[in-house]
Parts: sequence; structure tokens; C-alpha cells
Amino acid sequence: MKKLLQEREAFLAIAIVLICIAASIAWPGVFPTFDNLSQVLLNLSIDAIVAVGMMLLLISGSFDLSVGSVVAFSGGITAYLLYYCGMYPLPAVLIGMSAAALVGFINGYLVAKAGINPMIQTLAMMGIIRGAALMISGSGIQNLPADFNVLGQSNFLGLQSPVWVMLLVVFSFDFLVSKNIFFRRYYYIGNNEKAAMLSGIKVQKLKITGFILASLLAGLAGILLASRLGASLGTSGKGMELRVITAAILGGASLSGGEGRIMGALLGTIFMAVISNIMIIARVSGYWQEMVLGLILILAVWIDIVLKDPRGLSLKARFTKLKTS
Amino acid sequence: MIEQQTDISIEVRNITKTFPGVKALSDVNLSVAKGTVHALCGENGAGKSTLMKILTGNYQPDGGRIFINGKETVIKSQKHARDLGIGIVYQERSLVKNLSVAENIFTGNEPRNQLGFIKYRELFAKATVLLKKLNININPQVKVATLSPGLQQMVEIAKALSQQPRVLILDEPTASITETETKILFEIILQLKKQGTAIIYISHRMTEIFKICDVVSILKDGCYQGTYQCEEITIDDVIKKMVGREMKQIDVTSFIQNETAIEVRNASGNGFSNISFSARKGEIIGITGLVGAGRTELVRAIFGADELASGEVYLNGAAVSINHPSQAIKNGIAYLPEERKEQGLFMDMGIADNIISGNLSAVAKHNLLNKKLIKTAANSYVRQLAIKTPSVSTKVANLSGGNQQKVVLARWLALNPTVFIVDEPTHGVDIGAKYEIYQLLQNLAKTGSTIILISSELPEVLALSDRILLMYKGTITGCIPRLLASEELIMEYASGLKKDSAQMQQVA
Repeated sequence: MKKLLQEREAFLAIAIVLICIAASIAWPGVFPTFDNLSQVLLNLSIDAIVAVGMMLLLISGSFDLSVGSVVAFSGGITAYLLYYCGMYPLPAVLIGMSAAALVGFINGYLVAKAGINPMIQTLAMMGIIRGAALMISGSGIQNLPADFNVLGQSNFLGLQSPVWVMLLVVFSFDFLVSKNIFFRRYYYIGNNEKAAMLSGIKVQKLKITGFILASLLAGLAGILLASRLGASLGTSGKGMELRVITAAILGGASLSGGEGRIMGALLGTIFMAVISNIMIIARVSGYWQEMVLGLILILAVWIDIVLKDPRGLSLKARFTKLKTS
Repeated sequence: MIEQQTDISIEVRNITKTFPGVKALSDVNLSVAKGTVHALCGENGAGKSTLMKILTGNYQPDGGRIFINGKETVIKSQKHARDLGIGIVYQERSLVKNLSVAENIFTGNEPRNQLGFIKYRELFAKATVLLKKLNININPQVKVATLSPGLQQMVEIAKALSQQPRVLILDEPTASITETETKILFEIILQLKKQGTAIIYISHRMTEIFKICDVVSILKDGCYQGTYQCEEITIDDVIKKMVGREMKQIDVTSFIQNETAIEVRNASGNGFSNISFSARKGEIIGITGLVGAGRTELVRAIFGADELASGEVYLNGAAVSINHPSQAIKNGIAYLPEERKEQGLFMDMGIADNIISGNLSAVAKHNLLNKKLIKTAANSYVRQLAIKTPSVSTKVANLSGGNQQKVVLARWLALNPTVFIVDEPTHGVDIGAKYEIYQLLQNLAKTGSTIILISSELPEVLALSDRILLMYKGTITGCIPRLLASEELIMEYASGLKKDSAQMQQVA
């Protein structure tokens, strides 16, 4: 049992299933319907794409606070090109993605080569890019062309396209990060950067790549979001960075790096989305929702510390130790 | 075996401590008399640290009793241990680098005014008095970060002594300090001894133990092996009791072949300048000198971990340019770093993950990791190096020092290095594992690899090296062939007393 609990992904998956069962019993006509569940999936797909990139960074021991701004930025640039310049969707999307990649490159370069702390670097970038996004989108660019909106609004097998894109991103990254030797190196960097460097791992190059990937995924999410809404907003993705970090940490990442799996990022996002959905169904006020998610995060990390304690101290021993020291 | 009861400062009886899956201590007895230096010997994992953590209140024993000055006591916490007069200098540094020496010495115990503000003038004055008393020449106002590792160790000791402990525990106090600093440390110990302090001295260095200690107690696999007066026991006997078997002497065979494997010409960089040397295939070349002589800086630059400002490196006669460790590895150079926890290991990852980390492509097919290949590779090294572990997925953090070092070695052996640079390969490693590592390096030389051995332990350098390069303040001051080498000669070069002309070095 303890072993199972230590596997965060299994723990989360079981928790999600149990919560869903409980919710289905409590609100049989509302929660377990296809409409509700597919809506939940659609809503979480944007967050989950961004969470994949965040998980990759967290594994390597850093994180990116600017992803939420990049969501608005890339969506804004793409919308601007479509609406004001009359560009075709493909080049507009590619330019939007490139802009996101550039943000990631600047973050990665300044963190890896100049040695700026990722917290400070990406916090600053969060503000800069948010400003740029607001400048581009103004009070919002609406009525985007239909051949662009098709990206985020089409249906396949009953699920909307953002869900399929999200599943593709999650499963391909999960496969790569757990098997591919290039991506595997992020665990080494996150675990011990110095030792990784001395083992011949090109730490700086990989870190820059990590930031570019995280930003690209945020860019993709932003374009999907704009396409789904048929509009871009300068404020979209606000607060997303912390929500996504929360999901990744729930999913098994650690701020000190070296831990977590991509699948955990998805599960963490699903967990949070299901809880939110249930609270909406139960008509819990929005204030409470934020508080509950905060409490869940603290609890999850704390349980983790206790379960993984090499000294095998029990909860009680921990309390007495806290008191004495 | 044990002296009269009245002088006993601290005594433990039948102490037992179990961790999940391991019996760390079973029925351990130890009694340390006032004014004696009491050595505690045992291999890594023998339970020395656990016992010390019990004495300092970090762990609670599962069974047994502790007596302080004859009174049975339960040591509740670290603070309680301090109040009882038990001080400890840990092997690992516990200093705050960006604070001053004085602030570090009196951490949590600073002279304060009524408002809780630190009275700096008094703090510095107190520190000056303490440091002077200990004969340590440090300005208490400088930041700890600016001090050499040796001096930092002295600050650690001063910190422990600021509490005026009745029992002082020193855990591997000489591991990172120079010979001169060791001398100062020993003077301090003798001074404390005269004042009646009981000192528990933990070290792997037998010669030191026999130089400074009066009594020696031995632990093996968590069991108490006995206590002896140092005069009535020999080093060999202590080792025998620690290891449970006799240690073989290592053979001094030389495997030098004719071709030159590596040549360094006029290398300069941060911490060393104008270094030239060459080594042949199968040769073990020792580089020694005091801490801060530039040895580590030199080899890190050769390996591409730091910048080589000028100079060339030739491998098998061809010039190579190495700007990153990955290029060194491609060229067949491996580097075992000095601090295995900080630079060598991925502590929270498994043994297998650590072993394969130097060359992931070797255990991958089409760039995808292959579990089977990983397992086979890891298992073969675990067997070959006799790494003691339940499985290859065990976290490295759960292994003893010697086994951890073997894991780092395994990673580099997996690359079949033609030049293997080992920096303090037996630092903090127990005697059994030490000899295994020596054997391993010799075997590697036998197959034609060149070994560059950096070590501060002179007996180790003397026993293994075909040739010994001496470094002093960033330059090579001499080169001694094995037959002429002695500890005294090495110390003369290393301390800058003696220096060969450049020509002489070339000849050697």
C-alpha cells in the first residue's frame, strides 16, 4: 500500500476515479454525463498542454512563470496577423509559434548562460510579455476567420480538437521523456547539475532547449485557445502559470528537480479540473474553490514528504521533532 | 580493558538502534574518560555516525542507556545535547558562507542587547579571544566563504568549542585540511585534553589515530568489537577487527608501456600556470600537493570542466581541443571528481541510472533506452566492483560511502577510458573499499589505461604511483620516480621548500 502511494501517478489516478465515482453517486444526472465530462476535458486541455512543458522544466530543476503571458502573446500575434494583415492561417500560426519560441530562447539563454535565477528571469518575462500581449490584442481581436477557428472548434469521435491535440502532446512527450536518451538527460540535470556536466551532459544547451519547448507548448496552447474562442484576449492565460505549476507538483514534480513524469502533469491537471467541476456543480463559491485547491496542494506535498522520508519517521515523530528543534 | 569509573565523562551501555530494514547498532558500549582522546574506528556503515547522532540528540536509541558524568540521561534533542555539554564537529560543513567568522562561531548564541540586536563589537571581541586561545590566525570579521577549506574546518571547531563542551566529537576532522592545519588541530586537541575535555575522534586515517589518540574503540556492522589502549594494539590489529579479515598489501607492479598516452604542454588557467607533463600508457602518475596547490583546477581544465586559458593537450600524439566534458569523454578521458556527493553522483537516482549516466547511447536502441541493456550493464558492474546493494534500482543515497564511490567508478569504467583522472578516489571511503579501489586502478593500468591520481593521502600516492608530480601554488615543483619517493621528500616539495629546475623535471 505504501509503495503504491509513493507512485504519485497511481495515487492520483485512483483518487480521480474515486472522486468521480463519489460525484456520480451524489449528482447522478449532472456529473457523469457525456456533456459535462467532455466539457471538463475541453477546459483542461489548454492547461494540460502548458503543464507538459512545465513538467519538463520542473524535472530539469527550473520552471517558467511566463507561460501564461506567452499563451496570450502567441494567440495575440496570430490573431493580429489573421485579422489585420489578412494572412493565411498556416503562416500566421507559424509566426505565432516562432514568437513563443523566441521568448523561450531568451529565458533559457539568460538562465543557462548568464546565470539569472529562473524565478527572476521568468517573472520579469511574465510582465514584459503580458504587456506586449495587451498591446497587440488591445481590448481583444474578435471575429477571426473560420478557416482558423476550425483548428480549435472541430469535432472528432465526439471530442473537440483541443482535446486531441492535448492527448497527442501528452502521450508523445510522455514517451520521449521516459525513453528517449535526449529527454532522459533532464532528470540528470535536475538531480545534480554539476554531476551532469561532469558526466558529459551539455547542461546549458539542454536547459535552453527546455525553455524553448515549454514556451512552444504555451504558444501552441495560446493559438488553440484563440482558435477555440474565435478571438484573442490580452488577458488570456492570466494566473495560468501558478495553476499549471500546482498541477505539475500535484502530479509528482518537485521544485528541487529530478522528479516527476509527463503523465503526472496530465493527472494533476485532471485532478484539479474534476475538483473544480464538482465544486461548481455543488455551487461552492469561487473563493472556496481557490482555497480548497491550495489546501490540496499543501496536503499532497506534505504526504509525499512523509512517505518518502528515508528515516521512516512517522507523522507523530515528525511533530515531536518539529517541536524540539 | 576499561578504566576506572570515576573519570568517565560519557558512557553508553547496550545501545541499539534499528532503521527500517537495517540494524544500525546492536548492543554497543562506549565509555569515554575525561581528558582522553578516544578514537572510534569502523568501516563506513559500521554505525559510527548513527552512534554520534544518538549522542547529539538527533536520533533516539531503541534500547540502552546513556550516562553523563555517571548520571543516567536521556538526550532529548540537539539543543539538549548542547546544554549537556556535548559538542560536535560534523564531517560536512555547517557554516553559513555569507556570514562572518564570528557570527558563525556564535550562531544562536550571539551577545545581544535588550532589544534582541546583536552587539557586534562584543561578538568580534569574543571571537578574537577564542581564536587566539586556539592559536588560529583568522580575522573574525571576514566572511567564511573567503576562507580555505582548512580554515573553514578550524572555524567549525571554534564554533563547537565556543559552547565549552565537556565532550567534543570530531567526525573526520582532517578529511579536507592540509598537514600544517592538521598540526594546529592536534595542538588544539592536546590543549583540550589537558583541560579535561573528553574527545571522541572519528577517522579513517590510522596513522593519525595512533598519533593523537589514547584509546580506540572499534565498531563493525553495528556491533561493538572492543576498546583498547593505543599502546597495546597495532594498526594492523585495528584494521583486522574493523574489516574482519586481514588486509593484503598491494603489489607494486608497474605496467608502463612505451607509447605516450597524454601530454600536456604549457597549460595555464585559473589556479595553475605553465604546466607541462606527459604520461605513458599503463602508467599511474600521482599528482600531489597541499590543498589549494591547483591540482583539481588543472585536471578539471584538462577534462574541459573549466577553461584552459592557454596550452595544449595531446592524446596519443595528436592535439585535441576540449571545451566541454563531453569532448573529453569522446576522446577517452574520464574524470572522477573530488566530491562525490556534490559532483559525482545523482543521489536520488538509482544505481543503474548513475552507472549509465556517462553514456546513455550505449544502453539505447534507436535513441530509446532499453531496460534490458540497462539492467545487464548495471548488474555486471555491481558484480565486478562488488557493490553491496539489494538491487540496481536502489537509490545511491542509501549506500555507504565506499559503495557510492564504486558506483561513480563504474560509470567511468563503462566508458573504457584511455586516460582516467581520479581526484581523491578514496576520500571518506572505508579501508576495505579503499583496497578494492586500489586494485581496480591497478587492473585498469594493466589493460593499458593511463591513470592520473590526485590524492592528499601520501601513503596512497606512494603505494600506487609510478611517478609523482608535486604541485605548489599552481606550478609543478618536482617529479619523483617511485623508487626515490618518500613522505618526507614529498612534503619538502609540496610545502615549497624544494624545487627542481625545469630541466630536471623534463628528465624525470
